[in-house]
Amino acid sequence: MGLFESSEKFEEVLAGFFRRVGETPEVAQKLLASKLVIRFSYTDPDVVIVVDCSGDEIDVRTGDTETKAQVNMSMSADIAHKFWFGKVNLMAALTRKQMVAKGPIPKILKLLPAIKPTYAMYPKYLDENGYGEYNIH
Amino acid sequence: MGGYAGSILYVDLTSGNIEARPLDLKFAREYIGGLGFGTKIYLDLIKGKPDFDPLSADNPFVLMTGPLTGMKTNAVARWTVGARSPLTGLWGDCNIGGFFGAQLKFAGYDGIVITGAATSPTYLYIEDAKVEIRDAERYWGMDTYTVNDEMISDHKGASKKSGQVFAIGPAGENLVRFASIANNKGHVAGRTGLGAVWGAKKLKAIFVRGTGKLEVGYSNRFDDLRAELKELYDGNISIEGLRAFGTASHMDIGIISGDIPMKNWQQSEWDLFDEIGPIEYEEKILTGNRTCYACGVACKREAEVKEGAFRFDKGPGPEYETIATFGTMCLNSSLESIGKANDICNRYGMDTITCGSTIAFAMECFENGLITEKDTDGLNLTWGNSEAIVAMVEKIGKREGIGSILSGGSAKAAEQIGGNSPDFLTTVKALEAPMHDPRGAHGHGLAYAVSARGACHMASLVFPVEGGGMYLPEIPELADEIIGMSSEGKAKLNVACEDFGIFFSHCAGFCNLGAMILNATQAVDMVRHVTGFDYTLDEVMQSGRRIWYIKRGLSNLFGVRAEHDVLPKRLMTIMDTGPTEGSIPDMDLMLKEFYELRGLNEEGVPEREVLEGLGLSELAALLYDR
Repeated sequence: MGLFESSEKFEEVLAGFFRRVGETPEVAQKLLASKLVIRFSYTDPDVVIVVDCSGDEIDVRTGDTETKAQVNMSMSADIAHKFWFGKVNLMAALTRKQMVAKGPIPKILKLLPAIKPTYAMYPKYLDENGYGEYNIH
Repeated sequence: MGGYAGSILYVDLTSGNIEARPLDLKFAREYIGGLGFGTKIYLDLIKGKPDFDPLSADNPFVLMTGPLTGMKTNAVARWTVGARSPLTGLWGDCNIGGFFGAQLKFAGYDGIVITGAATSPTYLYIEDAKVEIRDAERYWGMDTYTVNDEMISDHKGASKKSGQVFAIGPAGENLVRFASIANNKGHVAGRTGLGAVWGAKKLKAIFVRGTGKLEVGYSNRFDDLRAELKELYDGNISIEGLRAFGTASHMDIGIISGDIPMKNWQQSEWDLFDEIGPIEYEEKILTGNRTCYACGVACKREAEVKEGAFRFDKGPGPEYETIATFGTMCLNSSLESIGKANDICNRYGMDTITCGSTIAFAMECFENGLITEKDTDGLNLTWGNSEAIVAMVEKIGKREGIGSILSGGSAKAAEQIGGNSPDFLTTVKALEAPMHDPRGAHGHGLAYAVSARGACHMASLVFPVEGGGMYLPEIPELADEIIGMSSEGKAKLNVACEDFGIFFSHCAGFCNLGAMILNATQAVDMVRHVTGFDYTLDEVMQSGRRIWYIKRGLSNLFGVRAEHDVLPKRLMTIMDTGPTEGSIPDMDLMLKEFYELRGLNEEGVPEREVLEGLGLSELAALLYDR
């Protein structure tokens, strides 16, 4: 079993974080410029979150399996959690298929500089929202 | 004979003697190709007199292809050159892509051995069986781009094939100790200064044109494997990243893990970093893609700056290492100036890693008052001064003013500048470290320390394996999860990455970038199918191991001992911020384990019985009985 005890809890934590990211202008502007719709499919526990950057503001939808996404990212919940701390070796995770990215690769790679500030945001977000037990120190 | 062209060319520049010797198949199987051929032949040539000046006629030069070089498939265009390095005084080798290696094999040669020295500028002309030493007076003084174009134009004749040129520029002629040799302008044998070896031999270039074809041992099996690999390549994120952004794609990956050195290795974060990232590269200077022979990955970049102080014509663009050395290392956020510095280095024929690192070192000396504007002919060598950086590159190429001191590399410059300047060095065995920080990946630290040619990320597969881009689950030491900021198990990892890596990158001819998505089985299978030899993984790793000891032994013969297997103080300074905060390689632990695994004695020399067990009795005798 992974770090998160239920789908509901993981969905609450991560979707909340994505909404926080969407409300952060320095990051949101760059994500919106990509116009991408990204579906994250997590396992253990199973959760689906769509981050829609195609409009004027970032729309985060949980459980959305219908919208056609240009980018599909699959990984375990634990890998995702570690990733947002900046503690996943991205190359190794992709090479060993712990993370699978499908879609226009150059556009996906262009998101990397945009999300750089979020690594510092994630632990702070966990603490501020009563999820401190998940923090990795 | 599958894969091989079938002969090795021996050229003596002193006597003018030229001889093509048939390739012995037993030798080919045992040493595979590339570095394996080169180190063994080199050792045999110098064993009677291993004490000589790297810039003398006594220093042989070997250029060797692998069995895969020239095959029509992705990421196998590589070949190697080697000699005693004028920069380090030790064994030096470079691994190169491009087109020259394939063309040489089409002409009928697996490699070239050059001995002696000419008394006047010379070039070697090869057109199939026609091989001549010719007068190069007309080409002497030309930069590498000009000599490439002029020589191809001069030899075009009635042939439909234009041929390939491998040439030095003014830096090699001027004996800059980190001079490079370039094929087709942007495919460069950069590290360890082998261009100066050519300069000392008065060898300006080799022109080659071949009309032959290469055989494949088992062509059906080779075709099946290529079809299997095509599926692997299509849509692979690493390959697509290389296609889209070239090696510059590492900028956005490396910044996450703290891999990219900044301000002469004093920082791992910088506000202006994104100004020189791959997106800016695309928007500011990129004009297109370039590739090596038969490779569909096409990771090389073409760039141009149309106007301004950093104007340069369309040509090979800077790679990741160059962006980092002239960019982050110098806190220089002008991508145009990085492109210009790259252009000057390419044209003069200079290694960008050593050149950029040496300028960053000089900037720190300037900051600390060890050199002043009086020494720099008025250049204000402050961090981020892009004009001063570009001007200094040119001064080094010309060996003008302080450029002459810096043309010896940073370690030699520190001896002349004095004070506490050695504290600013980032060298191992006098070779400047490449742009990958061992504080974030401890195995890199051991790899740099024990590398026979000095700090190097290409000598083994430690960088792609520990960095995560390569996964070789068939090799037990490399199958488990690898934690970058840990020193445990990294000696074993290094040994396995050296043994397999020497086979993979340096002998067979695989590219560390374009072929990184292959596993060990696929790599060995390709060499089996091409050569027809029934190699196993164990056998190729045994060959890699034997060649590692020859390289180590050569550097031991040239003076390397245990005290040289260390990281500089600068790389062992703990960072107090950033992704690698608080992390430092445990060099004592890793070196102790490595010495045991490799059977090195306290002086850092391989034990006699270890060498004899690998069939290297002559090397053992040289090291112990001389």
